[in-house]
Amino acid sequence: MSTQLHSKLPLLALFSLAWRNIWRHRRRTVITLSSIAIGFGLAVLSIGIGDGSHNSMIRNAIKLGEGHITVQPLGYLEAPANHKYIADGKSLATQIEALGIAGSVQPRISLQVLVSTANNSVGAGLEGMSATDDPRALMLQPMLQQGEWLKPGDQRGVLIGDGMARKLKAKLGSKIVVMAGKQGGDSQAQLGRVRGIFDSHVDELDDFLIISDLQLARMFLQGEGADPAQQPVTRFAVFLDDEEQMALWKKQLQGAIDQTQLVALNWREMMPQLVQFIVIDDAGNYVFLSLILMLVVFGIVNTVLMSVLERTREFGLLRALGMSRHHLLQLVFCESLLLSLLAVVIGWVVGGGLHFWFSSHGIDFSAMMAEGTAIMGTFMDPVVYTELSADRVLQLTLIIFIATLASGIYPAIKAARVTPVEALRT
Amino acid sequence: MALLKLEGIGKRYRQGEVEVQALRDIDLMVKEGEFAALVGPSGSGKTTLLNIIGGLDSPTDGSVHLNDTEITCLSEAELSDFRLFQLGFIFQAYNLVPVLSALENVELVMVMQGRHIHERRERAEHYLELVGLSSMQHRRPSALSGGQQQRVAVARALAAGPRLVLADEPTANLDSENATALLDIMHRLSHEEKTTFIFSTHDPRVMERAERIITLRDGLIESDQEVEQHHAL
Repeated sequence: MSTQLHSKLPLLALFSLAWRNIWRHRRRTVITLSSIAIGFGLAVLSIGIGDGSHNSMIRNAIKLGEGHITVQPLGYLEAPANHKYIADGKSLATQIEALGIAGSVQPRISLQVLVSTANNSVGAGLEGMSATDDPRALMLQPMLQQGEWLKPGDQRGVLIGDGMARKLKAKLGSKIVVMAGKQGGDSQAQLGRVRGIFDSHVDELDDFLIISDLQLARMFLQGEGADPAQQPVTRFAVFLDDEEQMALWKKQLQGAIDQTQLVALNWREMMPQLVQFIVIDDAGNYVFLSLILMLVVFGIVNTVLMSVLERTREFGLLRALGMSRHHLLQLVFCESLLLSLLAVVIGWVVGGGLHFWFSSHGIDFSAMMAEGTAIMGTFMDPVVYTELSADRVLQLTLIIFIATLASGIYPAIKAARVTPVEALRT
Repeated sequence: MALLKLEGIGKRYRQGEVEVQALRDIDLMVKEGEFAALVGPSGSGKTTLLNIIGGLDSPTDGSVHLNDTEITCLSEAELSDFRLFQLGFIFQAYNLVPVLSALENVELVMVMQGRHIHERRERAEHYLELVGLSSMQHRRPSALSGGQQQRVAVARALAAGPRLVLADEPTANLDSENATALLDIMHRLSHEEKTTFIFSTHDPRVMERAERIITLRDGLIESDQEVEQHHAL
């Protein structure tokens, strides 16, 4: 061709034309945007509830379990045994303290024991801990149904769950014998007295857990040959003020401990079943999100495609006047882009509004959870406050944006394929 | 000097099982500044010929030259640019983009040509004034009558500075008064701007204003005659 001139369509003109085009059928655009916004709002709410309930479970699991990070003997997680303990707990406590961790570090002694009364015997997990400082104790304290909480230095007092009390037919003040196996096959026993009975609504705790002061539990480690002066423990549970710092502090702890003997594990490594449960539950939420996205995509495809089909003649005119195929493609794609941006903004106004309300007022699921909210050894607070992290906001925004944008591809290609002669004949 | 040269143009297409010969062996030369009418009954091949001249359709046989450019050899993208910079189009109806005002419609082609905003605004206003629509430049097509819309289309076609304007039955949807007014405008601008016009029609009022009448019948040029103009510009 003799001329080297090519068609141009500046961005401003492109967006201006696209913007006017999407408002050509105001009602249709409003209905499309409303359906996207409502769908997106529901998706945000659903994800917010999911994250809120998961985080509630995780927070409770961390308190009832072994903290954000646990320092314990190497191999204990795979094969727990009473003879696997940290003999020099005092030195390790000093080492950990020197790190200046923002949070609290709790010494704990965990033992597998047999608990007996005159009526019955049951297998149990004895947890020796600080009854006044340990977050697990502080969490269970309000759940005390009968009796009183342990006092510091109480060498014989124990707390048991109502499930265990039923099995042992134990009451307040009942004497119980706590028996533990020793390395080599012998056994050792200590006498305890029931000071209180708690009901956490978590069967795994109420049927299995027996809480004592560190001193009572430490007597069993003495029986294994530990020196009480070195304050032996099974583990240190680290509770962080800022959970986001978990990876950092885990790394610091790993550097500070003797890694041939000890290991630092985060809660995810300590409770893989809980992580798996959350992953599976999240998958359910993603299925719901996918259904909503499908609705959104069909909504946009429907709107843009209808608008493209209606304008076949006009596209023919534009092509006849010299608009190139790629500019026509850009124009229709731009319409989808603007629709997507509007959908994301309105979607966030609706979804964000719902989240804002329910994150402060919560949703009470207690009526729907008559059988309790205990799951995987932890429990979910019956009133769930929606939670959305910055990552989630970005993830949801990108998903909805990409989905809506992708839905504009087909109509744009269809528009670009218009041939002027055929279009002008329509 | 010939602006447009058609040599041996033929066009066949299939309509179901039947092959239709829309145009046969058309040879035609159009000089710069001509105001020529393609006339003939429905189905004679007027629109097909205009589409081929405009690069909207390709001939089965023959070649089309506009100045030095053989447009039948151009790629689709080149044809698109060719139409943008060399041709102006006026169609029978639905000629304007409904979401743009009259002024913006006239500017649209110049936007695609990459002209500076000041230049295109000035030209758009000038041509809207020439077609008598200065006061309605901010109205959208829906707020203009059919005749006014066609006048905007004329302004759009000329404002972009084409070598050749192709008009396919521009007055078919207009009443007598509007059709006459539009033709007078086109005729006057053709002379003032030295722009070549080829339009298809079977409207006698259009034929009266044409300086050359090319009659098509069954895809063949039946007659080609220059006529003396009686209408004052």
